[in-house]
Amino acid sequence: MRPPLYTPLALLGTAALMTLALYATQGTAKPPAVWNWMDIIGEGGTALFAGVWLALILSSRPGGRVTTLLALGLGAITLGALADCLDEFWKIAPQAHWDHWLEGVLTPGGMLTLTVGLYFWRQEQFALNEHLLRRERLFREHRAFDRITQLANADYLRRQITLEQARAPDAPCALVLLDIDRFHLINREFGRAEGDRVLQALSHLLLLNLRNDDLLCRYAGDRFAVLLPETDDAAAQAIATTLRNAVEQLAWHTRSGARLALSARVVAAVADTSPGSLLDALNHAIEPAARRPGGALQAA
Amino acid sequence: MPAPCYHADTPLIPAHYQPALVLEHARGLDLNSHVLLRHSGLFEEDFASEARALSPAQLLAMLANLAQHDAARDAAFQLGQQMLPGHYGAASLALMQSPDLGSALRLLVAHQAQLCPLLAPRLSIAGGEVSLDWFDSCGAGATKALLVDLHMTAVTAMCRWLGGEHLPWRYHFNRTRPRSPEHHQVHLGSALHFGEQTDSMRLDARWLDQPWPRGNARALALTQRELADTAGRRSLLQAVREQLFDTIRLPPTLEHTAQHFGVSPATLKRQLARHGTHFQALLDEVRTHVTLQLMQHGGLDHDAIASHLRFHDARSFRRAFQRWTGLGAASPCA
Repeated sequence: MRPPLYTPLALLGTAALMTLALYATQGTAKPPAVWNWMDIIGEGGTALFAGVWLALILSSRPGGRVTTLLALGLGAITLGALADCLDEFWKIAPQAHWDHWLEGVLTPGGMLTLTVGLYFWRQEQFALNEHLLRRERLFREHRAFDRITQLANADYLRRQITLEQARAPDAPCALVLLDIDRFHLINREFGRAEGDRVLQALSHLLLLNLRNDDLLCRYAGDRFAVLLPETDDAAAQAIATTLRNAVEQLAWHTRSGARLALSARVVAAVADTSPGSLLDALNHAIEPAARRPGGALQAA
Repeated sequence: MPAPCYHADTPLIPAHYQPALVLEHARGLDLNSHVLLRHSGLFEEDFASEARALSPAQLLAMLANLAQHDAARDAAFQLGQQMLPGHYGAASLALMQSPDLGSALRLLVAHQAQLCPLLAPRLSIAGGEVSLDWFDSCGAGATKALLVDLHMTAVTAMCRWLGGEHLPWRYHFNRTRPRSPEHHQVHLGSALHFGEQTDSMRLDARWLDQPWPRGNARALALTQRELADTAGRRSLLQAVREQLFDTIRLPPTLEHTAQHFGVSPATLKRQLARHGTHFQALLDEVRTHVTLQLMQHGGLDHDAIASHLRFHDARSFRRAFQRWTGLGAASPCA
């Protein structure tokens, strides 16, 4: 659960107002003629942006140690920069030390806390990457993820093929397509929600049957694609067969309790051409025979 | 005229037909209903009443809103899977009872007002080939590509389901190849031809009378009696096109066409303008179709086509053809 945004922000607002009140009551106002605009913009801007970052962090992350550290750090930096900025408007008697304390402790302390928070965030990210293993490679693009299976889409796949070819031009990389037989009947007879559940289950099943460096994508509809880095044709065919067998072994039960026997068609090829022509060729090869123009009439 | 034609603002489509399908799809995507119904003049309550009917323009607005949503990139294909035969009264029942592809396609054309009110199918069989061409019914504008994908997927999926096997359709699209063709490949197949002059699905004519396992010709005859009153109803744009196809050799004029529909030329012009088009555009579209058919199946040369379409000579025909299509007239012959 995300923590409510308003409590920490209200605390920060209160602290900012108290700082303002402190300067307004304890200091003597400087005439506008001596205001240093560069300092005001620089320090005020720092305070403003640190506050915005705090709001973004709080609104997007679940609560916990990392979030608390990041929030405290950014909050302290906001207040430190604010105190620094208010310094430009009010002159504080030199014998008072509280203003040095405000600036000198809040800003470095905030940076230290933020750094600790970022360190733990890194640890947290390593743990999350374990979950994303075989779902993403090399770079992250959140818009590429499919809503139902949480797998990346065909755009992401095409870019990954190009990257993989550039990264290891001498090592072969291979691509497998897998298409579920008669998937449309599941949607027709049991509804689309059931079809979506099957796709989710299949994506988990396929992930379990892949190596850590492989990438599973939902190409479109009921067609999955697997990018196999540093894999030759024979190994790719073997992996394709393993995946097809895994789909056939799955004992799927619908919500209504019916047992569905699933099967799939697979094709595999070494990715030695452009992603576009490779995918065109594989998509052609995976089609059921009768659908191809010129295909023979067959009994259903 | 057989049945009166409908316009973009005719309240024609019961809310629990195609609109309910779109609403349900949007709900599946967690898309807020007021986002979906924006600019359509509709509210969610409208869908509670079976008596409420939407205009084609309202359904079009819903689809356009849906298409803007990031998660709905494959909406045309997902909706297409469920659109036909659909649950649109006797017309859907008739499709379910079709004994073969030929009768299903003829039903689709005859009952387009119920089955596919936004995009009009036109069936032609020539040279051993079936062509199902799709035309804009109600001024779809930028949403036309989505409608074409939706309807081609719908017919493909319906034939696969009722016929029990994949048919080897070839698809022609009057637009450039999309950067991400994966949804077309998975839902339609790999016989995709972009950059063509028409939006059509083609197939060897021998598939037309292959019997379908669920077909029931006797029951279909009974259902068709129920449907007799509304058969042949089409949109204004499609009715004008059909009239142009019928009179293409006269050649047709705005005056004669308006007379056929019993309105003044000014009224017809105004009605076409309300659908975002004009008489000459429809005429050019129809002449392009006729020309391509004559070239592909008639084996006619430019002189013969020019005289068929009442051009002065082959040269002025070639100039006109280039204007309609951007192509030299030689290329489609090749």
